[in-house]
Amino acid sequence: MKKVTLLLPLILLITVCLFFLLFILFEKDPNNPPSVLLNKNLPLFSSVNLYNDKEYLASEDLKDKYTLINFFASWCAPCKAEHNLFFEIKKEIPDLFIFGISYKDKPSDSKKYLKQEGNPYSFVGVDQEGKIAFEFGVFGLPETYIINNKGKIIFKHAGALTKKIIDDEITKLF
Amino acid sequence: MSSLIGFSSLCFSSIISIIILIPNSITNIKIKSFLFLFRCSTLFVCISFLSLVFAYVSSDFSNFNVFQNSHSDKPLIYKITGAWGNHEGSILLWLSMISIYGFFYSLISKSLNDFKILVLKIQSSLFVIFAMFVIFTSNPFLVNSILVKEGLGLNPILQDPALAIHPPMLYLGYVGFSLVFSLAIASLLRNNNDQDWIIETRRWSMISWVFLTAGIALGSYWAYYELGWGGWWFWDPVENISLMPWITGLALVHSLIMIKGEQAIEKWVVFLAILCFSLSILGTFLVRSGILTSVHSFASDASRGLFILLIFFLTTGFGFLVFLIKSPTKKNKLHLLFINKTSALIINNILMIIAVLTILLGTIYPIIIEVLTNTRVSIGGPYFNSTVLPILLPGFLLMSVAPVLSWQTNKLQKFRIYVIFFIILSAIVSIQSYFTNFNTWGFIGLIIGSWIITASIISIFLRFKFSLSLHYVKIINSFIAHIGVGIMIIGITCSSIYQTEYNFNISVGDEINIDNGVLKFESIDITEEKNYQSLRAYFLLEKEGKLISYIKPGRNYYPVSKMITTEAGIYHDWSKDIYITLGNNNNNIWFVKIYINPLISFIWIGVFIMIFSSIIAIIKK
Repeated sequence: MKKVTLLLPLILLITVCLFFLLFILFEKDPNNPPSVLLNKNLPLFSSVNLYNDKEYLASEDLKDKYTLINFFASWCAPCKAEHNLFFEIKKEIPDLFIFGISYKDKPSDSKKYLKQEGNPYSFVGVDQEGKIAFEFGVFGLPETYIINNKGKIIFKHAGALTKKIIDDEITKLF
Repeated sequence: MSSLIGFSSLCFSSIISIIILIPNSITNIKIKSFLFLFRCSTLFVCISFLSLVFAYVSSDFSNFNVFQNSHSDKPLIYKITGAWGNHEGSILLWLSMISIYGFFYSLISKSLNDFKILVLKIQSSLFVIFAMFVIFTSNPFLVNSILVKEGLGLNPILQDPALAIHPPMLYLGYVGFSLVFSLAIASLLRNNNDQDWIIETRRWSMISWVFLTAGIALGSYWAYYELGWGGWWFWDPVENISLMPWITGLALVHSLIMIKGEQAIEKWVVFLAILCFSLSILGTFLVRSGILTSVHSFASDASRGLFILLIFFLTTGFGFLVFLIKSPTKKNKLHLLFINKTSALIINNILMIIAVLTILLGTIYPIIIEVLTNTRVSIGGPYFNSTVLPILLPGFLLMSVAPVLSWQTNKLQKFRIYVIFFIILSAIVSIQSYFTNFNTWGFIGLIIGSWIITASIISIFLRFKFSLSLHYVKIINSFIAHIGVGIMIIGITCSSIYQTEYNFNISVGDEINIDNGVLKFESIDITEEKNYQSLRAYFLLEKEGKLISYIKPGRNYYPVSKMITTEAGIYHDWSKDIYITLGNNNNNIWFVKIYINPLISFIWIGVFIMIFSSIIAIIKK
């Protein structure tokens, strides 16, 4: 009996370490933690238009259509890498409402960036303080979400999109 | 250049530590040369760390670590602190501290040479393990492959005086337990009966505990005014993992007092000593591997995580294994009575360990669940508040009288006086809660806090004749510490339960009536500081027409990292803090959050008293 009590810390240690080990090994992609928001409702937010500070887009406005939400910034290099793909998505899925949110970026810089790279977005919102991103649990830029016509988040990707992801995962949703 | 010096001295230091580990039967080193080698190793690792600091100060961007975490525009102080504001540098600091603790131990310790060598050898093995970790996975001396003129900047949220010294303090605490660990293991391996190691363990665990306390307090003070969430403790995973070794250390320090009266709990002391250091490494592992998400966003890397997990497993496993095989076998019976000092201390020890296990469970539960079911859950304040606090409650009650209890008998001297005071106090608190809004936790917290203070003061007056000397302070020291805890409990209770929160949408020129005073929104001011742009709102606090103070909440914008930080504006008063954060601006209407935090200063005063009394306890002998 005495020995068993003394063994207890060791047993506990091994169990805990085992779980940690499994956690580290099974973490498929540390850059893509499962979003708690997946299959949940779109968080509430309201965002001002980059080009017109009287026009707002709120989460309620997105409830009846499929929407792709993309967080980007002019200072973010991987955003530039994925930028052109949105034109392709637009071509392939013309009904999709593509909503870009400029994250922690000066409006003037975002405008310049979209002028240079082209603007694939149906609406560009401003999130200068990262409040909307906070609601979405954004880890880093870029991040992309797709919301279905019932206002549920059905897709999430952290990091730059690639052609493969679009073909394998996004187009299948429609 | 500094990178080269740094890396080579790090390697030197590790090689010397490995040489030290060779058994004495082969090398036949004398104690003098052994100590010389050990101190050389310390010297080299310090040179290594200082050259990293130098690289930061001189903005040497040929060092990849400096390039990633520093910027030439940064003020000097934050260049220096930048050295440990990142993963690699902070682990190097941790490593240096392991050696420095060994160094001071070798100077101060009066143990027999054999025992001293054994302790230092264990300390050196820990050093070697962590040195391997630094060299192979977290080398801060990597050379930048491209030529750059400017760095990428430090996280602006870390550019703060409290936070600059918070990590070193915390690390001094964590790492101090490595020496306690070495002492405990050495005592097991040596299997001797002399009690010298206990006196040394007492001193070193106290020192580590003081640093840990200071580190945690600085961290929460920083969170209080920098994060702008109105609170100072969020049960964030990183906070929890610092709390676990803290509570265990507290239990250890108290158990070591017990050794004076009893001999049989040596086993328990050894166990706690091992546990303290394991929990410290566990904390490092959880933070550094990026397994837990928290406000402390550190760079994460799976290979590092595996390495620290290995260190954690080996060190703790080794500790527990030695404990299992060579555990002390002395069979003195504990002198347990219904209520004497020993039983009170043991009950408190048990409660503290249960609390630690509860926190541990809450902290790693999300990991277990994610492994088993692949869903992510988060466990926050409500769990910890409703589990940890009730566990600690009886402990607090016992604590109030524990120092007056006797070792040998069941009697509490002048029991009646305590009862009378307790009744009076309960009546006062009841009346107080009747006239303010009643809250169960508030009521309990106030009674316990004020009771601990009153009981300690009564005990001081009843038992010791007052004299104005250091000796007097030394004998009433344990009561002083407990008064500190009482003050802190009152502070925690009032600031969390009786906190009031107001939200306003106001523009410049508006006035708000708040807390019997008038708060006038005077102006918005934007200024250019050295490495950031600051926006401040000026609030004028007036009471009965008299100017009390300006409160200046605002935000800082750091152009290098394009980050905005919130700066809370706080008006301190001994009885309350008025805490203002500035939110969004919409057509010149500002969203303003105001918290009134009553008696929050008591928390810091309480912590200060606890630290003061621990320092007295360290120099007592």
